[in-house]
Amino acid sequence: MKRRDFLASTAMIGGTALLGPLPLRAQDAPKSGGTLIWGHSETTQNLDIHQTGTASTGRVLQNIHESIVTVDADLNVIPNLAESFEMSEDGLTYTFRLRRDVTFHDGSDMTAADVKYSFERAADPATGATNFEVFNAVDTIETPDDHTVIVRLSQVNAPFLARLAENGAGAVMPEGSGDIQGETPIGAGPFRFVRREFGNEVELARFDAYFDGPAHLEGVLAREITEPTVRLTGLRTGELHMINDIPLDRVAEIEGDANLQVVSWFPLNWDFVNFNHDYEPFRDPRVREAFDLMIDKEMLMQGALWGQGEITAAPSFPTHASHNDDISPRPQDLARAQELLQEAGYGPGELKVVFKVTTNYPYHVDSAQIMLEWFRAAGVDMTIEQLTWSDWLSQVWVDKDFQMTMMNFFTLWEPDFLYYSMWHSTGGFNYRHIADDALDALLEKARVTTDREERMGIYKEVQAYVQDNTLDVILWFRNGTIGAQQSVRGLDTIVHPNGSELNFHKVWLDA
Amino acid sequence: MTTRGIVGGALVALMLALAILAPLLVPDTWATEMDMLARLSPPSLAHPLGTDQLGRDLMWRVMLGARTSILIAGAAVLMSLVIGLPLGVVSGYFGGWIDNVLMRIVDATLAFPALLLALTISAVLGPNLRNTIIAIGVAFTPYLARIIRGEALRVARMPYIEGARAAGTTDTMIILRHVLPNIMAPIIVQATISLAFAILAEAGLSFLGLGTQPPDSSWGLMIQASRDYLDRAPWTALVPGAAVALTVLGLNMFGDVLRDVLDPRHAMPAKPA
Amino acid sequence: MAYLGNRLLSLVLTLFLISMVTFAVTHILPGDVAMIIMGTQSNPEALAGLRQSLGLNEPLLVQYGRWIGGMVTGDWGTSLVFREPIGPLIAQKAAASALIVAMSMSIALAAAIPLGVWAAVHRDRWQDGAASTTALLGVSLPDFFWGIMLILLFARVLGWLPSSGFVHPADDFGGAIRHAFLPSLALGLGLMAHLTRMTRATMTGILQQEFIRVARAKGLSERTVIWRYALANAIGPVVTVAGLQVGYLFGSIIVIESLFNFTGMGWLTYQALLNRDIPLIQATVFTIAAVVMIVSLLVDLLYTVIDPRVRLG
Repeated sequence: MKRRDFLASTAMIGGTALLGPLPLRAQDAPKSGGTLIWGHSETTQNLDIHQTGTASTGRVLQNIHESIVTVDADLNVIPNLAESFEMSEDGLTYTFRLRRDVTFHDGSDMTAADVKYSFERAADPATGATNFEVFNAVDTIETPDDHTVIVRLSQVNAPFLARLAENGAGAVMPEGSGDIQGETPIGAGPFRFVRREFGNEVELARFDAYFDGPAHLEGVLAREITEPTVRLTGLRTGELHMINDIPLDRVAEIEGDANLQVVSWFPLNWDFVNFNHDYEPFRDPRVREAFDLMIDKEMLMQGALWGQGEITAAPSFPTHASHNDDISPRPQDLARAQELLQEAGYGPGELKVVFKVTTNYPYHVDSAQIMLEWFRAAGVDMTIEQLTWSDWLSQVWVDKDFQMTMMNFFTLWEPDFLYYSMWHSTGGFNYRHIADDALDALLEKARVTTDREERMGIYKEVQAYVQDNTLDVILWFRNGTIGAQQSVRGLDTIVHPNGSELNFHKVWLDA
Repeated sequence: MTTRGIVGGALVALMLALAILAPLLVPDTWATEMDMLARLSPPSLAHPLGTDQLGRDLMWRVMLGARTSILIAGAAVLMSLVIGLPLGVVSGYFGGWIDNVLMRIVDATLAFPALLLALTISAVLGPNLRNTIIAIGVAFTPYLARIIRGEALRVARMPYIEGARAAGTTDTMIILRHVLPNIMAPIIVQATISLAFAILAEAGLSFLGLGTQPPDSSWGLMIQASRDYLDRAPWTALVPGAAVALTVLGLNMFGDVLRDVLDPRHAMPAKPA
Repeated sequence: MAYLGNRLLSLVLTLFLISMVTFAVTHILPGDVAMIIMGTQSNPEALAGLRQSLGLNEPLLVQYGRWIGGMVTGDWGTSLVFREPIGPLIAQKAAASALIVAMSMSIALAAAIPLGVWAAVHRDRWQDGAASTTALLGVSLPDFFWGIMLILLFARVLGWLPSSGFVHPADDFGGAIRHAFLPSLALGLGLMAHLTRMTRATMTGILQQEFIRVARAKGLSERTVIWRYALANAIGPVVTVAGLQVGYLFGSIIVIESLFNFTGMGWLTYQALLNRDIPLIQATVFTIAAVVMIVSLLVDLLYTVIDPRVRLG
């Protein structure tokens, strides 16, 4: 379960810059057939898309399920299972007109009842649904006919539509199938679930009645290989057609191998360093700024990511309209950092800090060890505590029992999801005890602002505010990578615009 | 003393010296200093044993790691002795229902492989240096208790014990005066062998991430960190591996010779699983 | 028969004790499976709902009763994190582990017996020293370190064998053996060392006995004396010790299976522990302990058959 990425961000979007040398043969006609063997970096867990919170499992499920709406390459929400949708003037009523040609893997046709069932299931925390808060403002769901769904909200929720395109919140499953989704997921996606041999592999087969035309591949066999070097060996020996997540230090080497191709994209996720704002020293913004000044972000990125990323001060998706291009990371300045600490009343050796880091991300452990050297050089008495994923979740995320830590998130392109959850005093991802009235007011205003440009402007202010007050230290966007045999084609279509999901619909094998 | 005894003794002495002296002579920072331009570099003049993924010198790391590995192993075995000795002696000396109850519990504990038990305890307590000691110490206790009980049982049946009892000596006095001195030799032998297994157990726990924590450096932790860089930088695994091997080999050789000298009756030591 | 009855009764009693220990320990484990399932998506409301639906809110005694009842009736429950029924999962993973345990045992015995005999025959000469040092080296390295070295040599440098994964013997027998070979060898080396020492010690004792001297005096060839007479007497104790090492092997497979991505019982146990998947931890730990107990009982019984001198009772 190591290296499990969480927070399958959702659906997404665009702007995925493909940096790798793409085959120049994209004009070849795709061939049909063959089973692609994928060396998947994670062990899949609960297969119920409404319940699973891990991107690793979501990556497989994305091929089985389809969402009511999705996004195009520019992160605009576009129709999917709904052939059209409209929002009323007052922003309170959403009407979805469903496609009539959608068939589920169990042979039944999709109707409005299935959509209503899926939304209600995803909205009910008692079912263990992870995205229920997307539906918080939903008052009623009506189905006037078999192909129309009307959702009425009790208050304006500007990000509602976009959130349906994210994270499986808008995934539609056959009415009544909830109980079996965890073991045998059924959806309307391009591939149907065949079997899982737990811990070893998941087998998917082409679904011929897929509404957007059958996939080229006959099937996908996702072999779960959590050891990065083992995955790499499998690719080298030809046992695997492709692998995701090439070990960071080996990307350059694989790029130089004529038998293989590397697809890398930017960004996969972003990382930040956190302060517990309830811990006395970190209530003082000067102390937080001092720590920011101790970190040489570029050096840290080179050290921990082997250069596979790009430093940033703004966590908005780089190509998204909400991204603030005017702020940049503070350069390292140990002398200034010591001055600030002194002003705040902490002389050399007087500030003790424990940095909790999870072994789930080995590059976090490396990062912490590198930062420790700088913190000590600036006179901070720092120690590291390594936690397993479950301990990190319960100590840091739930109990908020930490002083400093670091974490990564998939690039949530929907800014409300990102900023409200992360920095609002009541946000679901605010595990740092951040409570700032000015910031709360900004975030609340954005939520009820329906003018897009104005709304994006507010989020730019939010980013500058987080940086100015050093609420957290934003570090970088990390690249995503896939390594594959030259025979694997159509890889330019595999990465979902959100940067975290893989879709095999248009991938084919040139055997 | 045979050649093996001498070699074994020398190895043990060397590692002990390293564990005690290295921290006094070598500043801790030498083991944590990073050189981003010399990451995963092979052995060279500047770094005689090469560097790890953060460009830290493996020679200093393995030397300072000796302290952690040996401290944990020593403390863990001491702890299992402190619990196992009274348990085993009482059980073996008094016999009867006490023996029955205690040994039933020991048997139930023995059914859990020691490493599994240590892993679980470490997961319960949370991994750090102190808890690693507790985890290994508890996991090894039933093995020592079983052996000590057997020895105590043997001694308790000796005619001179009967004699002492007939003369009105109290049980406490008999245990202190007659039983303990007579079971010391096999216990020392067993403790030496257990020490070797404790070193291996620490390495195993740390390898799974449930043992020693950075920035403390232990041999198991070093092997764990090497895992992702094995094929490009095998020395990152070989260096700490060799340190473990030499120490354990030394302890085993030394233990064998000790047994021949102190406790010739027993051909084989018991081995914590 | 009374002996057998006693042993069985005590086995049941111990298993019961083990079940209580297992249950108690898993409930003091910190961390929360509901958290793990939801990851960073969790929030108090959803967690409470999930806990309720997983049955985590019932009194401990009720949970224990239901667990024991389920174990006896064959309903082992469902893994909380992976949503797989536990019974079939354990059966499947235990079969995989049985393969490497059997293979490593065969490798260890096949190497240890000749090596041990050779050392005993040439007692205190260089052959003895060489064999004993080899054996010592085997027990002096952690088995995962052997594993790492084997991966480096056979998978990376020579490319002869796969470095990871499990293949079902029913799907591809040759592939199954090839995938199981390196983990079995890594497990077998430490075991081999131990058994070599055991064989040497036992053989040394036997070679000094009267009947060996008689056999030699009768003019039987040295080969016959050693391999027919001496070894026949040594094999019992050696096999017994080997049997008792099954527990040791089950401890080692946790590390080795994780290293080789060999998805057997050890791997499953480690996953369960990491995820705080309580029913799965209980089932895996209990199964391992039960197997260890039952094997040691079988070995004891077997020993009384092989060597009637063992007093019963």
